[in-house]
Amino acid sequence: MEPGEQPRIRILLADEQSLFREAVRVVLESQPDLEVVSEAGDGLQAALEAERTRPDVALVDAHLPNADGVHITPLILECRPECKVVVLADAEDHELLIEALEAGASGFLTKGSPLSELIDAARRVQRGEVLIPPRLLGPLLGRLIRRRREQDQAYRQMSKLTKREKEILALLSDGADNNAIAQALVISPGTARTHVQNVLSKLGVHSRLEAAAFVIRNGIRDELQEATR
Amino acid sequence: MTQLAGLRPLRKTGLFLRQAKGENAVYNPASGKVHLLNATAWAIWDLCDGDTDPEEMIDAICEISRMHRDLVSEDVRRVLKEFDEAGLLVWLTEPQVPPN
Repeated sequence: MEPGEQPRIRILLADEQSLFREAVRVVLESQPDLEVVSEAGDGLQAALEAERTRPDVALVDAHLPNADGVHITPLILECRPECKVVVLADAEDHELLIEALEAGASGFLTKGSPLSELIDAARRVQRGEVLIPPRLLGPLLGRLIRRRREQDQAYRQMSKLTKREKEILALLSDGADNNAIAQALVISPGTARTHVQNVLSKLGVHSRLEAAAFVIRNGIRDELQEATR
Repeated sequence: MTQLAGLRPLRKTGLFLRQAKGENAVYNPASGKVHLLNATAWAIWDLCDGDTDPEEMIDAICEISRMHRDLVSEDVRRVLKEFDEAGLLVWLTEPQVPPN
């Protein structure tokens, strides 16, 4: 690097197809500020390469073998927290987009995008921006808002439970039956059954399975365990 | 539109929308004006459903963008103000119940 020259953005490129990697590498390296420091053909290799080469940006295919793009994102971030991950998908997939963002990705791009967008994406995420295809942004925000409302509603429902009932719900979400609950809480199976009925009634659900699904769907497992400590 | 608390923006009826080649446009026949919206403004426009309040919009955008809430809040309020001044919105005090 010449004195005064800006450091180049170091990129990890992870895709199963070597032809795709080579083509993208050529394009990225035609830019003076971009440098592909490593390539990976599967998810695990991508994590290892991230640890070895410490890239600024990782461009990872959503469907990598041995740990896909969404699963590999937190591993890359664990090895290299400063790295910005862009997940490359075959199509505009709302579910995948949400999963990628929740996994910590900074960007989501379809493989149908022009190469100029990929180049731009590498630069923008490295600057700290979050990249989402404009057409997916509105629906994504709508989904987040709906989910947040459901969670608020779940917290309201949960606040009706006593500490003991929260303990019961936590055990229910682990799949415990009345006997297991009774054993864990040192109460009789009959008392456990009464508590379970109260929990179901307060949550407005009709079965243990529904109660467990309520906990999982609303992501309140940690809060439940915290509340029962 | 000075105070947003408790108010929910709803897109006016009778507007013409067009999305093409990355451009989003809203034509308001009442004023005869075409409004071009960038991606963020379009996403906010999409959320003006009479049910979502501005605070919910701000929270969701913060979650996605990981930007500071003050910045997002300023942007959302500015965009809504522009929509409002362009006569594109009505403001509801109660959530709009979707038709069955």
